[in-house]
Amino acid sequence: MYYICEMNTEFVQNWFSQVKKGTLSYIILVILDRKEYYGYELVQEIKTHTTLEVAEGTLYPLLNRLKTEGIVDSKWVEQESGIPRKYYTLTDSGRATLIEMKEIWSALGAAINKIEK
Amino acid sequence: MKRIIFTNPTAQKMYDDYFARVTRCVNILSATDQQELLMELNSHVYEATHRGITGNEVDILVDALDKLGAPEMVLQPTVAYKKVQQAGRSFNPKHILQALYLNIANGAGFFVIGIIYLLILAFGSLAIIKLIAPTHTGLFLQNGHWFAFGYTSNLPNGLIELLGNWFIAVVIVLMGVFYFLNTLLFRLLKKR
Repeated sequence: MYYICEMNTEFVQNWFSQVKKGTLSYIILVILDRKEYYGYELVQEIKTHTTLEVAEGTLYPLLNRLKTEGIVDSKWVEQESGIPRKYYTLTDSGRATLIEMKEIWSALGAAINKIEK
Repeated sequence: MKRIIFTNPTAQKMYDDYFARVTRCVNILSATDQQELLMELNSHVYEATHRGITGNEVDILVDALDKLGAPEMVLQPTVAYKKVQQAGRSFNPKHILQALYLNIANGAGFFVIGIIYLLILAFGSLAIIKLIAPTHTGLFLQNGHWFAFGYTSNLPNGLIELLGNWFIAVVIVLMGVFYFLNTLLFRLLKKR
């Protein structure tokens, strides 16, 4: 007798959604570590470098939160169009936070690789 | 906030409708926060619709707004979070109640704060009721045992009211104590 085991798609989707939620702030910090970005540009950068389907609107609450936490800073820059752009940068505290997050991420990755072997 | 001008009237109407919804969503916040959020979303829509792609203005705008999401969904977490911050700074009961309403999903902590606020209101009411019905309001003992604290229409024999007019002072102190407790709890939840 053969059993065909199917993947539990719903479970995987929920898990991936949680992973996305948990890693988005890390991804933002990694990208902002290179240079300053304005909101729309940051969304495009995330889409270019990851396969994450980020709902664009969800980025702003997160950026607001990071700003309140003192991890990122922002400034409005006037444009010729008259519609200014809001540029986000990492603060010193943000850079220190990112170093710590990178260590945690790398330790987690190593631990998972070890378990999988 | 500078309004984006579209050449297509349908696109213009869609844009105006979207930002009317955004304005409705954020009007509970302080003027500075409202302006900040409106400008941020406006900037996003401008960049998304003026990045050099050619095509129908309506289609480009629909795509941009679709990717950005409904204002009610997109702004809910930010509005709720900013309201908590504002309430934490001002301790204005109106701001606190609005923050509670917006953060009701945040769980038991806010539920407890809500209950304590109801108690504060109840103590305030008791102070007024004591003035209207002094013999029926107070701390009542019967045969040395606790009977009631508050208003009772039932006054059986052997009932003693202990506090007299001090009852009003006691409920005012209790209001202060619970208000202080709520403030502490609120600060604690805000820090999470």
